[in-house]
Parts: sequence; C-alpha cells; structure tokens
Amino acid sequence: MDAFMAFLTVFSHPELLLLVGVGTFAGVYVGAIPGLSVTMAVSILISFTFSWDVLPAISLMIGIYMGGVYGGSRTAILLNIPGAPSAIATALDGFPMAKRGEAGTAIGVTTVMSFIGGFIGIGVLALAAPFVSDFALTFQPRDYMLLAILGVLLVGSLSSGSLLKGIFAGALGIAIGAVGRDPLTFTSRFTFDLSIMESGISFIAVMIGMFGVSEALLQLQHVNKASIRQKISRIVPSLKTVRKHLPLSMQTSTIGVIIGALPGTGGDIAALMAYDHAKRVTKNPERPFGDGAIEGLVAPETANNAAVGGAFIPMMTLGIPGDAVTAIMIGALYIHGLNPGPMLMVDQPDMFWFIVGALITANFFMLLFGLTGIRLFTKIVEMPRSVLIPLIMLLSIVGAYAVNNSITDVYWMLGFGFFGYFMRHYGYPLGPVILGVILSRLLDDNWRRAIISEREDLGRFFYGIVTSPLSLTLFIAVLLIFVSQTPIWSWGKAKLFGRKQGQS
Amino acid sequence: MTHPDTEHHDGTSDATPGGVEAARRPGELGFAIVLALASAALLYNAYGIAGFEALSSPGAIPMATTLAMLIAAVAIVVKTARLPKITGETLSRDIFPTAAIVFAVLLLGYGLLLQPFGFLPTSALFLIVAIKYLSKRSWLYTATVSIGSLVVIWLIFRIVFTVLMPAGIMPEAEFIQFFRNMFQGAK
Repeated sequence: MDAFMAFLTVFSHPELLLLVGVGTFAGVYVGAIPGLSVTMAVSILISFTFSWDVLPAISLMIGIYMGGVYGGSRTAILLNIPGAPSAIATALDGFPMAKRGEAGTAIGVTTVMSFIGGFIGIGVLALAAPFVSDFALTFQPRDYMLLAILGVLLVGSLSSGSLLKGIFAGALGIAIGAVGRDPLTFTSRFTFDLSIMESGISFIAVMIGMFGVSEALLQLQHVNKASIRQKISRIVPSLKTVRKHLPLSMQTSTIGVIIGALPGTGGDIAALMAYDHAKRVTKNPERPFGDGAIEGLVAPETANNAAVGGAFIPMMTLGIPGDAVTAIMIGALYIHGLNPGPMLMVDQPDMFWFIVGALITANFFMLLFGLTGIRLFTKIVEMPRSVLIPLIMLLSIVGAYAVNNSITDVYWMLGFGFFGYFMRHYGYPLGPVILGVILSRLLDDNWRRAIISEREDLGRFFYGIVTSPLSLTLFIAVLLIFVSQTPIWSWGKAKLFGRKQGQS
Repeated sequence: MTHPDTEHHDGTSDATPGGVEAARRPGELGFAIVLALASAALLYNAYGIAGFEALSSPGAIPMATTLAMLIAAVAIVVKTARLPKITGETLSRDIFPTAAIVFAVLLLGYGLLLQPFGFLPTSALFLIVAIKYLSKRSWLYTATVSIGSLVVIWLIFRIVFTVLMPAGIMPEAEFIQFFRNMFQGAK
C-alpha cells in the first residue's frame, strides 16, 4: 500500500507533475536540437537543482531523460541529423521516409513505438528491481568490484569503437575519481602536493566539460550546415501499422531493456543493436532497410526508450549506473544525501516507487508532446548554431561554477572539455570516463574490503571467486570481454557456427 | 554492427566513437604518445602513494588503474603507429580549425575575467564576441540576440534555480532589491 502511495506521489503533487511535464517538454527539444544532448543537459541541470529538494530535482531530470531519448528522432527524421546519440540508427530509415514525403508517418510511428518501448522498460524495472535488490543484498564486496569493472569495460566492447581505447578511458575515469584524500586512510592520492587537488576533482566539472564543452567545440565545424525543411502530413499512425509491428517491437524492447540494464551501456548502443537485429529478422520489409523501412524506425526507437527503464535497474538496486545519464543521476542522489544501492530499496522503497511513477508520467507526456507541436518544433530546431554553441558554452561555465561556487571547477571543466575534444576526434569513448569517475569509490572500497576479509591473500580471494556462482559468472564475463577481442574468438566462432556466422 | 557515417569522424556517442578505424588521423599518434607518457607519470605517482606495502593499501587501486592505462596506451601507440595516414585531412583544418582555437581562447578568457568582472559583463562580452564571430551578422543582430538571451538565462538561473554567480562590478543585488522594493511598494 505504501508503495502504491509513493507511486502516486507524482500524480498527487501538481508541482511535481508540472516539473515532469516541463522536463519532458524540454527533453524533447534538448534531444532534438543537434548539439544539445540529454547527458549534457542532465549534467548541467544537477548543478542548478542541487539546492532544491530531491523529489522536484529528480522529477525534472527524469522528464528530460525520457523526452530527450525520444526527441533525437525528430531531427534524425526531418534533417538527417540525429539530435541525440540514441537516434543515430533512426536517421538511417527515417530520413529516406521524410524525403519521400512521409515525415508525418515516420514521426507518428516513432512516437508510438517510443511510448511502447518506454512502457516495457518501466514495466521490467518495476517488476525486476525489487527482486534484483533482494538478490543484491547477498552480493559480496568482490561482486561489486567485478560489476564495476564489467560496467567500465562493456561500453568499449559493445560499441563499434576500440576496446583498448575503452579500457584506457575507463581506467582514466577511475584514476580521476581517486584524486584527493583517500576516505579511509586520509592519504593523499594524485594531489602532486597541491592544496587545490586535496578535495578531489568535482565529477560534475568532468561531466560538463566532457559532454558540454567538448561537444560544443566539435559542433563548431558544422556551424554553417543548412537545414532542409520537410512537409509534415498526418502524424497519428493507424492502429494497423502499430499492430503489424508489435511483435518486432517486443523483441527490440527486450534488447533495449537488457542493454539498458547492463552496467554502463545505454540507449545509443541498444538502438544500434536493435537495428541490426531488425535487419536480420525482417524477411520481407516493404522497403529495403536504409531506404525507408518502417522496421528500421520501430527497432531503434523501441529499444532506446526501453533502455531508459532498464538503466534504472542497476542504478536503483546496486548503485551501479546503467548508462551515462543514470551515472549522473547517481551523482545527483549523492548530492541529496541518498546512497543508491540495495539498502536504498530497503530503507526508502518510496524513492523507488516515486521514480517509477515519474517515469510513467514522463512517458505519457512524451506521447502527448510527440504527437503535437510540430510547427513550434520546426522553429526551435532551426535555431542557428552560431547562437546555440556560445550559449551551451556559457551554460557549461555557469553549471560548473554553481555547484561549489568555485572558479577552480570552471578550470577543471574547461580542461576536461578540451581533453574530451581530442578524445572524440581520435575515437576514445567518453562514457567509460564518467562511469569510472562514478564507480571509482565503489571499486576501491569493495576491493579493499574484499581483500582484507581474505586476509590479504590473493589465493583465497580467487578461491572465493571460483566457489561462488555469482562471482564466477561475473569473472567469466570480464574475461570473455578480453577474449572476444583476440583472434581466438573469431576463430572459435567460425568453428562453432560454421562459415556463415564467421563472415558476418 | 551497423556503422552510420558520422559527419566528421568526431564521436557524438559511445556507440560510435569518432576517429577512423583503419587509418591514422593527423595528430592521433602524438595524442596517443602523450597519453602513454602521462600514464607512466601517473603510475610512478601512484607507486609513491604506498608502494607495494599491502594489497589493501590506498595505493593499490590507483596503481592497478594507472598500470592498465599505461598498458592500453602503449598498445594504442603501437597500433596507431602501424596504421596508414589518412588522406585528405590536415592538422590545421580538421583538428585545430581556427574556430576551435578562437573558442578555446575565448573560454579561457571568460574563466579569467569571471571573478574580477562578474558574471553579467563577462557573459555579455563573451556572447557578443562569440556570436558575432560565428554568425557574421550585423552588430545590431548580435547585440540583440546576445543581450536578450543573457537576460533570459540570468532570470531563469538567478530566480528559478537561485544560482549565485560572481557579481563583480555589476551591482546585481542592489538591482534586484530595487525591483523588489518597487513591487512591494505597489502593493
């Protein structure tokens, strides 16, 4: 009963309802405007909302998250520029549809499918999280440690980039998280005897720099890109279309939830994997993929919104973020004095049910804003980048300064912004850095707890891993990631599945 | 995995980080070498935290992570050095375009001026210079857009989010108080 009341919190407080609505509305546009990403918006917002109470702050962020994951699809369809990373796959078939004059259908299908995917993700979250958190209470420190390592590695191995660069980025993040006084022994780490380093590097500065300033600097190369106007016809899709693609949307939503729930990987990766899956299972699309196949819209859009609910599962139950945005939200909860993890679900189940309620509300708002306001939308999206880029930079600076009222944080933010600029140019993923920063403390604490409880004996430590099914599974998963990058893997795959699989 | 072509090999997402897989972009090797050297320096620094005192020492995880960084960075250097140079890209055009350098300087300048000058004048200056440089429109357009958006940002953040920025030379507090008095006087 209490859970149900907590679930209804959003609906019974008009100001929270309004904030979710405003957040979702803003999210749709933030997601849609190329150069503004959800991760960027949420990281800047933390610094502005930290003086608020926790519920309004979370309401706003959830709205932005849900709306933003969807919003990117609009520009992907209309302009062939994915407004947000999670919409990269949507552009592949959405834009050809728009060119053919079917922009309205494309937007309608996308909206409804995002809604369906979003619901499946939230449903799985609501059903699975309580069990996962019960299970999580039995986790040993070494399991947390292995999960953290897995999370940092997964992005590098599931994306199309290089695992080596992913490992470097993740390790760098962990090192950044370790800067300052060690919380257990008060020893200084990586401070270079500078007093400003003693309190560590603000993770918000790292985040805003990497996702705000570096993105804005890259966008400078596309300042003069002209946008193409599209005609928009009927938007609400027919029930027939929706029903026809329901089976596929179930499959791709499942992919979305799983990828979302895996630590570290979020909607952008889920969307691309779902798109590949749709290409494999759709035998006779009405139009070939890449040429305006509706399946090519259904798959990524259900998957990326399903990943939102999925990403909250490890965040709420283990304190391990499901993707970059939930990593930032964990930071926000810390600021508000909450400690996400299995104990949060036990001590404050209300918080969990409140988040579920807010997500559902955001999903409805997304459907509402998705099917309306197209005219306003085309106006806002055509905001010239020559104005947008300086504004993003200004907001990044204000955001970095606002958390601690410290100019040092602004310099850190700018430093990481410039560094992130090069990382992006040379194919180093940024997600693992943020994940590393957030997970650094968890990894460090749990490693020390684990090894102390084994009396500093590595042999006993590994014996503990091998004899516990969970630890062993996690350990094997970590090993597999490394093996999957070596020639042994492709050789083994070819042997096992025959030639066909080996080629793909 | 499907790999959509990103416009300029600049990663917008972790699913498709930038860079070019089969070729070396200008400056990529240099960047990799810098990372490797920095990793080595950090490893040395991590060793200095507690040495090999104990597996549970405060230096254990820092040493392990910096070692991982060093190994990954060296492997990246070796891999990158073997790749053929990419054709059609130059360091000055694709990695350090004039606009990026101008903005790096502008941002640093903003950081330097923020404390002494205060938020409003510094931001106004930054926006006017930046928007004029990028849009190349008239001064009237630039000034209207810059000041207009600055006022909106200031109102939202100062009033909705109650963020305090350095006031500097602008008597912000007196300004707000003036309006407050005016509204209260009208009641």
